[in-house]
Amino acid sequence: MCGIHELTEKDLQPLTFTPAYLDKIKGMRFFDPHVHMTSRTTDDYQAMADAGVVALIEPAFWLGQPRTGIDTFRDYFNSLLGWERFRASQFGIKHYCTIGLNSKEANNEALAEAVMEIMPQFIYKEGVVGVGEIGFDDQTPLEEKYYRAQLELAKEAGLPVQIHTPHRDKKKGTQRSMDIAIEHGLPPHMVIVDHNNEETVKEVLDRGFWAAFTIYPFTKMGNERMVEVVKQYGSERIMVNSAADWGISDPLAVPKTAALMHESGIDLNDIHLVTYVNAVKAFAQSGQINEADFDIAGNIDQSEKFNGSTVLRGGQQPRINKNTTIIR
Amino acid sequence: MAQYVYDRQKMSEGLTAIIAGNSSEAAREWLQQRLEKAASIPQFNQTFTAIPRFTGKNMITVSPEQAAVLHQLVPGFFVHGWTLDRLIRVWWLLQLDAADKTAYLDTVEKLFLSAEMNELAALYSALPLLAYPEAWIFRTAEGVRSNIGVVQEAIMLQNPYPARYLDEPAWNQLVMKAIFTDKPLHLISGLDQRSNAALAAILTDFAHERWAAGRKVSPMQWRLLTAFVTDDNMADLTRVWHSADQVEKAAAALVFSGTSYGPAKTLLASDPALTAEIQSGALSWDVIAAKLTRN
Repeated sequence: MCGIHELTEKDLQPLTFTPAYLDKIKGMRFFDPHVHMTSRTTDDYQAMADAGVVALIEPAFWLGQPRTGIDTFRDYFNSLLGWERFRASQFGIKHYCTIGLNSKEANNEALAEAVMEIMPQFIYKEGVVGVGEIGFDDQTPLEEKYYRAQLELAKEAGLPVQIHTPHRDKKKGTQRSMDIAIEHGLPPHMVIVDHNNEETVKEVLDRGFWAAFTIYPFTKMGNERMVEVVKQYGSERIMVNSAADWGISDPLAVPKTAALMHESGIDLNDIHLVTYVNAVKAFAQSGQINEADFDIAGNIDQSEKFNGSTVLRGGQQPRINKNTTIIR
Repeated sequence: MAQYVYDRQKMSEGLTAIIAGNSSEAAREWLQQRLEKAASIPQFNQTFTAIPRFTGKNMITVSPEQAAVLHQLVPGFFVHGWTLDRLIRVWWLLQLDAADKTAYLDTVEKLFLSAEMNELAALYSALPLLAYPEAWIFRTAEGVRSNIGVVQEAIMLQNPYPARYLDEPAWNQLVMKAIFTDKPLHLISGLDQRSNAALAAILTDFAHERWAAGRKVSPMQWRLLTAFVTDDNMADLTRVWHSADQVEKAAAALVFSGTSYGPAKTLLASDPALTAEIQSGALSWDVIAAKLTRN
């Protein structure tokens, strides 16, 4: 979601050079544990793959405007498990998702009830690595009701929870989210608290939760601030994501932040932890992440072999040259 | 409409034997436990979804004897190259009570509606084994419209259901979609038997479009003209025959060898070397398919 900002002509010019930061992170692998690919283009997938993103998690969220019926919710969940996953595989990226009723739409009680009814059908699906993103937006009683109900679902299924913390009244909202999770008997190591900032991070880490940071221009963290956070708090239980969506956001936020950390003298091992390892560890508690799959993500369809010979493609997309005016 | 058009019990046993040889004891125990609750539809559905969590997704191995048993029960039914979770999901579908037709159709249709892509692949792979086979014709045509590779392949390749049940327009749509999405045509069950004049005409139109755009035409597609060589398409086949690409020429030769259309026979006779290769079996559609896969 974009905030208040001014664009200049310069900001609108297309990129015409290979960015230097790519050199700094050559050979590194990244895991973006929060990115809404449904609202991104194939160019983004290509750029992410080129920058070293090998796997990602797409949390279920709202779509920029409220849905009016349960069928569109079902289709949305289905698309996260089907078409979007296949689309990612065409670029060699392993796509996981979390399934949940987001806080905004929890405020439509009739719809929320219907979503809760279909949730159990979806959270046991292959590649569902958590219940998310759930939590508070306006911090209304209905948001609380469905947050609590979904914590119970997650507990029963043994899945991690991915918590969206509110933009407004953030600090209190974050505290309350953690209190309620504890109240429902979820151990902190099964809860990833998202969209942290300098004001929330200390308590989240002190209480034993995972602290995720969203690098998102204007409204959330910038990556220079992120560098300072890692310098101060280290790399334990901290992870970085892009939360890129249909707003002005950056699907390369994770690799770019890694490059900036490298440039700022942060140890390569710490960079690896906050841009890959920690997120894999946190969500692998679902039992649904196998790192070996990252290497064969581009070959999902090629795993369907006939008599031992790989005959199937439908996998990797052909690369097109973007720097020419000719389209063939 | 008949419930099962083959011996369901024997098929279930045949699949069980393959599962036994490919799964862990823990997985088989879990399945046994789940089987006791399978009469409850929500439990049945949850098991269908949860299968890979408990069985893993290894590629299965199937002995020729085991494959022969399946083939004998349902001609053309083929599990080679499947992963264990797909095999078990297909077997699981056979455990659903089909006595009440309405309830059965409703349960399976709902599985389709909330399936992720590997579940879809399993469901479409199970088409030849589902009860009330005529009930899945619309669903199959709908599946052909999928843009997800693994789902398309489950329907199109080595699956005997479409050739047996789809009507001509839906069949032609399947073949054209397979061509558009670069599938190995020789793995489509019933490809030659279901070729037809309408499809032959669509294919020549399609070739004209590709040539006009400066693009290549897959040599494999000419195979579908074999029984329909006429004055109308001989010029196109002649163009393929004169191609500088040896694989294209070989494809034209195979078409000519299979037709009784005189001018085609004459052209083929002008190349005794190719004619001899076809007669000896050194050149066949499978040979062409293998060459194309290598490229």
